[in-house]
Amino acid sequence: MSTTVTKTRTPATEGRTVPSHRAPAPGPVRKNPVPGILRRALTGGAALSWTAIVVVPIYWLVVTSLRSKSDFTSDSPLALPSHPTLDSYRTVLDGDFTTYLLNSVVVTAGTVVIAVAVALMAAFSIVRNAGSRFSRVSFRVFLLGLAIPLQAVIIPVYLLIIRMHLYDSLLAIVLPSAAFALPITVMILVSFLRDVPRSLFEAMIVDGAGDWRMLWSLAAPLARPALMTVAVYDGLQVWNGFLFPLILTQSGNKAVLPLALTLFKGQFGIDVPATMAAVVLSTLPMLALFILARRQLVAGLTAGFSK
Amino acid sequence: MRGIPVTGHLGSPRIRRAVAVTVTLAAAASLAACGSSGPSTTSSSKGLTMWALNDQTILKQSVDAYNKDHPDAKITLRLFANDDYKQKLRVAFGANQAPDLFFSWGGGALNDYVKAGKVDVLNATDVNSDRYTDSVMQSATFDGKVYGVPVNGLAPVVLYYNKKVLSDAGVQPPKTYDDLLAAVKKLKGKGVTPLSLAANSKWPTLMYLEYLLDRTGGSRVFANIASGDAAAWKDPAVTKANQKLQDLAKAGAFGDNASSVSYDQGASTALLYTGKAAMEVMGTWEYANIAKAAPDFLKKGELGYTAFPALTGGAGSPANIVGNPSNFLSLNKSSKHKSDALTYLKDYILNGSQVDAYLASGSVPPVKGLDSKLAAVSSASDKAWLTFVYDLVDKAPSFQLSWDQALPSDQADPLLTNTDKSFLRQISPADFGVNMSKAGS
Amino acid sequence: MAAPALLLFGLFGLVPLIGVAALSVARWDGLGSISWAGLTNWTSVLTDSATWQSLWLTVKVMVVSWLVQTPIALALGLFQAPRGRLRALFAVLFFLPLLLSAVAIGLTWQALLDPSFGIGATPGLHWLAKPLLGSPELALYTVIFVIAWQFVPFHALLYQAGIRQIPTALYEAAALDGAGPVTRFLHITLPQLKYTLVTSSTLMLVGSLTYFDLIFVLSGGTGGPGTATRVLPLSMYITGFQAHDMGRASAVATLLVVFGLGLSLLTTRLSGFTRMDSQQEGM
Repeated sequence: MSTTVTKTRTPATEGRTVPSHRAPAPGPVRKNPVPGILRRALTGGAALSWTAIVVVPIYWLVVTSLRSKSDFTSDSPLALPSHPTLDSYRTVLDGDFTTYLLNSVVVTAGTVVIAVAVALMAAFSIVRNAGSRFSRVSFRVFLLGLAIPLQAVIIPVYLLIIRMHLYDSLLAIVLPSAAFALPITVMILVSFLRDVPRSLFEAMIVDGAGDWRMLWSLAAPLARPALMTVAVYDGLQVWNGFLFPLILTQSGNKAVLPLALTLFKGQFGIDVPATMAAVVLSTLPMLALFILARRQLVAGLTAGFSK
Repeated sequence: MRGIPVTGHLGSPRIRRAVAVTVTLAAAASLAACGSSGPSTTSSSKGLTMWALNDQTILKQSVDAYNKDHPDAKITLRLFANDDYKQKLRVAFGANQAPDLFFSWGGGALNDYVKAGKVDVLNATDVNSDRYTDSVMQSATFDGKVYGVPVNGLAPVVLYYNKKVLSDAGVQPPKTYDDLLAAVKKLKGKGVTPLSLAANSKWPTLMYLEYLLDRTGGSRVFANIASGDAAAWKDPAVTKANQKLQDLAKAGAFGDNASSVSYDQGASTALLYTGKAAMEVMGTWEYANIAKAAPDFLKKGELGYTAFPALTGGAGSPANIVGNPSNFLSLNKSSKHKSDALTYLKDYILNGSQVDAYLASGSVPPVKGLDSKLAAVSSASDKAWLTFVYDLVDKAPSFQLSWDQALPSDQADPLLTNTDKSFLRQISPADFGVNMSKAGS
Repeated sequence: MAAPALLLFGLFGLVPLIGVAALSVARWDGLGSISWAGLTNWTSVLTDSATWQSLWLTVKVMVVSWLVQTPIALALGLFQAPRGRLRALFAVLFFLPLLLSAVAIGLTWQALLDPSFGIGATPGLHWLAKPLLGSPELALYTVIFVIAWQFVPFHALLYQAGIRQIPTALYEAAALDGAGPVTRFLHITLPQLKYTLVTSSTLMLVGSLTYFDLIFVLSGGTGGPGTATRVLPLSMYITGFQAHDMGRASAVATLLVVFGLGLSLLTTRLSGFTRMDSQQEGM
């Protein structure tokens, strides 16, 4: 892989050691690019207060989900539960939770597969035929697409889905989500593929390879880090997507997790521990992903936004 | 997550492109199949689909009874939260995916569906509608034809109160509006919210306006508005009613947080039975909710109830009531299971066991000839409540349907928005009438 | 090969774009048929003070969010940039909000800020028992705060990455020249962060223009209390799906598209996003 690829694509979470050949500079500059004790105090203070602001609600969330309904009105909110119980979790799991989880998985997988596959094809075509008018126009289309807010065009999408008789199906979420994931996915893949040296492609052409073979055997493997990044990014967007499911589905058994949370809220009403248990359960998949694949997750989250 | 599995040459690029598109579409189609075959789909070809609200537990029992007798053509019942339901139903009709039987409040809102040709006429014999109270049937009768049958109890709006909270503050249940204002002052002094209000849902606030207008100007004011005369909104009684609502709000009657309390959470109910609020203006269905959420509160006799206060010098009879005469079930015109639906409506809705169940839960169904059943109620507290509701409706010269259901639905949203704004004192009392007359024209 | 992507995006992205404009001159209540309405929707929307109020609320959210989130994200990014085990622990903690969906965050905070049963009920924290989401004056700022809670971690990651890319050689050279910490920050860190600053700000501004999910949940789907949090996207949703006036809602949506497109184009042009300058110039 050429070094130019690494420079523009890999997010800067990899460590970078700059050997210092000079005499050590005064102060903490040597290991630490952030100079200044004053600033460290300020940022440290900000960090500590922000830590509290982040941690307290999450602590409250978990603790409340373990409280019994009667304790909820009597216990002090930040205290540990006086009679911790898993009843709320049982209530949520009894309430079709697995259906919602499955729906989320299907919708996310479907959207990611379609969006990434189709975007890779498009990016490949744009980069390989960079001179052609068609490619330039296509690129512009996707560039424009980056700026279209999906919230604004939801009404015509709704109309379209109804006319296509797709209303209230998982496909109704997958297709528009994939479509709206295309601009950023294509952009990232294009900018990645642009850096692949032409010589590699020329070599394959000499061998008699057609476009599809080049895509499958050369571009896709080379683009694997980018593919992973866009897959994670698109996946995250869809997994947490709320507006499309809200408007394009109506049946309980087609709900995905974010929508299901609002359904739970409507069902549990003032049973806050149950609602919080639902929130915790719906976050577990993300937590699992975080524990297992933190680097990819962080990379995917900030896909291409950090240089 | 593999790419397109094409190996070797497939001939011209066009063919390859076609293959790619086909494969993509196939993947999509399999997703569609995967997606629509979930457990208990709502569009099973065998049975009926029916939509209703979350809190309709007794109605659900009638569905269960039907399903027991018809195991191979069951009704699939879907329940919704109140604030969601109206919107979801409309969207469903718009997408031609509405259920066979649907729950409504009658009135102009139901009429909208009737006018759009979505609802079937119901013949008296098919559903045996002679057993129902005539005045209630009015709410589902348009152009002389019946479009719905009542399914649950009479639901006028009353004033509930927490006996202990009132007595602690040395306050009597208010009989007039002035009593109410005085009570508010005393209760605030005790650090209790005088009136529990789920202002976020907006329709609870509307209940106050409905009563205040009726008490101030009599029932003819809204009757004019409902008949389609948009200028009738500018009647001075409307302004006065809004003024009184705003006076209550200014006096701190509703506490600080009413705007983030929504009814579906059960929070406004909870404020009453946990003693954080003294009173609540709500429909009679609240009795059953309290029975479920705080049975001890009821058992200990701590719940009090009375009619909405009278207004001295007002033109309306203090015996007038507002609320929901009943909820109705209507038949979707494009239903493919009409005979099954009619059977259900005839034999399972408000039949003997349903009536008994409603009475036992503290609700009076709009069925003729209930006197003997009422007399036979065993629990003294339930009997007192049922008799209270029955008498209230029986003696009321007028029973006004909730405005947001009585008016055509394109006026419902401006109505609720303006009610909320008036409550928040963001518009002047006179502006309410002006805005609504604009919306109604 | 680009055909499938263009087809899919064309169908669900471009066609609706034209569709919004088309529907804005139509009348549709979601139930019946679509009919021609001329410019009535437009005159109604543009003369209604509620529209301008929604726009003003949206602008407030955009500006205040930026003012709140950028300094905090920058400070956190600075704090997180150096390596070390302690930092790694903080990194995990800071990342947690990113794991929660907007709905999860909304429901949690809504319950947390309930004056009767939320965190305000803790002895000693009664000053938090104000109707933060229930008072028309405070609600918008509370919403802005929760949005910040959700997104600061993301922007902090951007700044962290940006700072880590600044070559230490620059700092070493400056230190040798005798520059103090403030000077180094103002003259090295900030300029080197220009790209990150622009990226982060663009995402923040464009994002808050169209942000829907969290505000919807926090206000209970009403844009309330009253209309205190009824930003433009929410106003569009309410007009279309609650008041069932799809034509009028499409007019509002068209406004949203125009502003969104305009803002995006403006910021990308200003930042030279499409050109991908190198910041390594001058090394």
